[in-house]
Amino acid sequence: MLLSSLLLIPFLGTAVLLLWPGEQPLGRLRLVTIAILLVQLVASLVITVQFDPSIAGMQLQEFHSWLPGIGLDYSLGIDGLSLPLVLINAALTLVSAIITRDIDRRPRIYFAMLLLISGAVNGAFIADNLLLFFLFYELELIPLWLLISVWGGANKAYAATKFLIFTAISGMLILGAFLGLALLTGSVDFSLTPVLSDRLAMGGQIVLLLAILLGFGIKIPLVPLHNWLPDAHTQAATPVSVLLAGVLLKLGTYGLLRFGLQLFPEAWAELAPGLAIWAAISVLYGSLAAIAQTDMKRMVAFSSVGHMGYVLLAAAANTPISLLGAVFQMVAHGLISALLFLLVGIVYRKTGTRDLKVLHGLLSPEKGLPLTGTLMILAVMASAGLPGMAGFISEFLVFRGSIAAFPVATLLSMVGSGLTAVYFLLLVNRAFFGRLSITPNSDDPIKDARLDVQLAPVAPRETYPAIALAAAIVALGLLPFGLSYLSETSITALAMQSMGVS
Amino acid sequence: MSAALPLPLQLIWLIPIYGFSGMLLSLPWATGWIKRNGPRPAAYLNLLVTLLAVVHGSLVIRSVYDIGPQHVDLAWFQAADLNLRIGFDLSLTNLAALEFVTAMSLICQIYALGYLDKEWSLARFYALIGFFEGAMSGVVLSSNLFMSYFLLEMLTLSTYLLVGFWYAQPLVVTAARDAFLTKRVGDVLLLMGVVALSAFAGSMEFNDLYDWAGNLKGTGALGPVGISLLGLGLIAGPMGKCAQFPMHLWLDEAMEGPNPASILRNSVVVTCGAIVLMKLMPIVQLSPVATDVLLVVGAISAIGGALVSLAQVDLKRAFSYSTTSYLGLVFIAIALQLPGIALLLLFAHGLARALQFMGVGSIIATTNCQDLTELGGIGTRMPATSLAFIIGSAGVVGLLPLGSFWCYGLMVNSLQDSAPGFAVVFLLTNLLTATNSTRVYRSLFLGEPLPKTKRAPEVNWLMALPMVSLSVIVLLLPAMMQRIDPVPGIASFSLPVAVAVSLSGLIGVVIGALVPLDQFWSRSTTPWIRTLQDLLAYDFYTPEIYRRTVVSLVANLAQFTRWVDLNVIKSLADGVGNLSMATANDLKLSVSGKTQSYVLTVLFAIVLLLGVLQIGRGG
Repeated sequence: MLLSSLLLIPFLGTAVLLLWPGEQPLGRLRLVTIAILLVQLVASLVITVQFDPSIAGMQLQEFHSWLPGIGLDYSLGIDGLSLPLVLINAALTLVSAIITRDIDRRPRIYFAMLLLISGAVNGAFIADNLLLFFLFYELELIPLWLLISVWGGANKAYAATKFLIFTAISGMLILGAFLGLALLTGSVDFSLTPVLSDRLAMGGQIVLLLAILLGFGIKIPLVPLHNWLPDAHTQAATPVSVLLAGVLLKLGTYGLLRFGLQLFPEAWAELAPGLAIWAAISVLYGSLAAIAQTDMKRMVAFSSVGHMGYVLLAAAANTPISLLGAVFQMVAHGLISALLFLLVGIVYRKTGTRDLKVLHGLLSPEKGLPLTGTLMILAVMASAGLPGMAGFISEFLVFRGSIAAFPVATLLSMVGSGLTAVYFLLLVNRAFFGRLSITPNSDDPIKDARLDVQLAPVAPRETYPAIALAAAIVALGLLPFGLSYLSETSITALAMQSMGVS
Repeated sequence: MSAALPLPLQLIWLIPIYGFSGMLLSLPWATGWIKRNGPRPAAYLNLLVTLLAVVHGSLVIRSVYDIGPQHVDLAWFQAADLNLRIGFDLSLTNLAALEFVTAMSLICQIYALGYLDKEWSLARFYALIGFFEGAMSGVVLSSNLFMSYFLLEMLTLSTYLLVGFWYAQPLVVTAARDAFLTKRVGDVLLLMGVVALSAFAGSMEFNDLYDWAGNLKGTGALGPVGISLLGLGLIAGPMGKCAQFPMHLWLDEAMEGPNPASILRNSVVVTCGAIVLMKLMPIVQLSPVATDVLLVVGAISAIGGALVSLAQVDLKRAFSYSTTSYLGLVFIAIALQLPGIALLLLFAHGLARALQFMGVGSIIATTNCQDLTELGGIGTRMPATSLAFIIGSAGVVGLLPLGSFWCYGLMVNSLQDSAPGFAVVFLLTNLLTATNSTRVYRSLFLGEPLPKTKRAPEVNWLMALPMVSLSVIVLLLPAMMQRIDPVPGIASFSLPVAVAVSLSGLIGVVIGALVPLDQFWSRSTTPWIRTLQDLLAYDFYTPEIYRRTVVSLVANLAQFTRWVDLNVIKSLADGVGNLSMATANDLKLSVSGKTQSYVLTVLFAIVLLLGVLQIGRGG
């Protein structure tokens, strides 16, 4: 019943918001949503307390037969791989709700969709049945499409449609792979526990695994399947971006580990060298593309492309340390990218632009955004992998776990980590250092200097979520053992399982 | 950790915490939460914790003196075969370095009270200095490579923030960027080495790594290429930290930061980098390539840095290049397996250079000017500063029997037979440094007072006190060195060597005294001198070379990726989308409601299908 609460709370919340009679003001809807999400966070924490980290397999399992004819069961379970992601989901959805202050239309639907996404993501992480996972994976798609296409920016229709098409193809490939698995093994048992694939010929395994890889590769996203992400991010509102980068991309990497690595260990071992190269390309491509961006949000979006590549590298290496690094990287990236998008959102709200050619000197203490700037420096340093923050320990584990297996790909990915410092430093230097001005550079210093700006101060309550995220990033960087305590047993089992098979 | 250890040793983990806590304690003032009483309390709190660090350090030294070197470590993170620990190596050498770091930090913080008297973000400065000090005191005590790397990166971050302290000025912006990126390049290469070592050697403790390196030749686990790459990766980090060629640019640009931080950077930060290199040397020396690179880099930095410093008209830059030059000498000493002398040199150089920079800071604080061509005749007006500058310069140059003289003597003595070429490098560097110091001294303190120096009073006591105290320390340094290095003694070199060292210094002073100095014509009108001057003044055009190579490479790659992203991948995605939309639109028009056209379409499709099937069967 504990795990079901992760679905019940947000879904009931969605129903309550939608069925609440009468016209409700935004503030009240927001508070109700925050309350519901707080309950969800508490439920997630209760599960964390109940969770026994020494058990490798699924725990707190729940099972109800649903449609046995097609192999769909209501079967839930949680392990060291999914628990951190459930926690991140609870925390970041809460952040998203808190930072939603000024939406211009239909707040009721907006908050309902937020809760629906959170519930669907929970469902995908704790589903113990392939079809059930797929159901939740698709369920999250519609509300997100709505969030982008209704509450997005100027070019929202284009971005939302692109997102919809890409993700729909991703869903089709994944469903195809799941059904193909049933077809080839001749069983309609879609429960996650037995490794079905060892009954298959290698050719069939590789075809299915490729479908899984492409499907989740779109979601992660990996180059060249990433094209939907920068557009979706630039058009989405800040809270939606936080959710998209912090939580929804993790569905892709989670799926990669759970349904790629865990279901097809033999085929995975075959493809691993190629995957490592793919990861390195993704990292370098994402980082280089980020350097050339002038829109802050696009830059952060491309940095996501680069940083999610580390997870693929870690998965390809498939050692206990690299997989642990993958979990760390998922959590760290969730926190860091959420913080980055949040801060870019504050800058956008106060200045009306995200253009790096236009923004200068935002760190100015009296007229600018000093606290936002300070937190931005922390966030970009964390993202660049500076020690003492979450990014470093994650990257260290990924690299340390992968270098023996794939030295070249690992070293190339480390170059990508160096490039992260380049583009984020450019961001901080251009937008936050220098003399405060919000104007395109005209090569005429007098003209540029004369435009004096006074930005509206950021109220403290606007920065509390950012401070909380920053504190979490530092805490995870200095005290990483909490997370490894939760995940290590499951992760080691996952790595060992495939070692035993191959 | 054994319970039998004396309390100061058990609490050794507090040492880096002092600095970091100073940062946390400053935050209420730095962020402006407390506005009522100015930022001074943050400075006092930082001074207090630094004083605690100094006292704690000396208690540890006393204990270690009694019971011998100790090793203390705590678990930090463990997963599978990875065991990352927080480890402290409490040898007398490391502790001496620790005292050096904390004492210099204390002195600089007192000095900064005077120097940054009216700075509105004083608390932020002290927060950063606390962070800086915490990281450095951890680096010098660290017993494992992981912790060293961890803290070195924190140093990179705090350098970036300290250089960018006055972030509203355009030059500061580029200086901070370059400082961070140059060091980051070194750090990423070092990280590659650290990760590889961690994966191949297992443990991260320096002692285990030495054992592993000792057995490596037997096992052949890593090919010669692998070993060379490893060695090069490991030396890249210290090269960046010590501002060695080709990663030396940042130190010069970093002079845009506040002077008290420059004092620390030019004395203790570079020392930290060199100490890490010293700890890595047993692994680096496996690779002859890496050792050779160290020697070449050291020699180029030593001579090149000394030459470039001659042509600088900016007061701080004239000495920052000299720091690069001295660290080059240290690199040579380390690469030639003379760690003892390298340490002495670091120590002697660090103290004397800090004093020199304090003198420089006093002049800048009083005149608000750091352009040599606008300064002159300060000698009679600022006697304490003048004296400090002379003592500092004499401490750096091997001429009078102060710190560096003995280091030069020991060094030249050990090199004269084995590597005479490097002995010449040392003497030449000494000569050029002496020339530079004399030249700068003349244009600062002698001659007629200029408009900016006519009313230059001596600095306030907050700056004068640390400066005078440090002058006394620099004067007493040879006695201290004698105690640190008692066995052969610091005077264990022959008379001809002593004469050679003194002579090189003397020639330098004479050249420096004779070289024509004209405030107005500081850039010569004679074409060939002018070309030479420009070459040196612009640092052999290194920034330009960088801009045309590395920077443009990355920028072009980034633009290319962007182009691919827009023109290949995006158009592909859009193209497929547009195609389907266009087809749908066309089909929409074909919905005419005429049954004949539908029948025709169906018929056509059936014919086509059958035709394809027929061809397929026939084939």
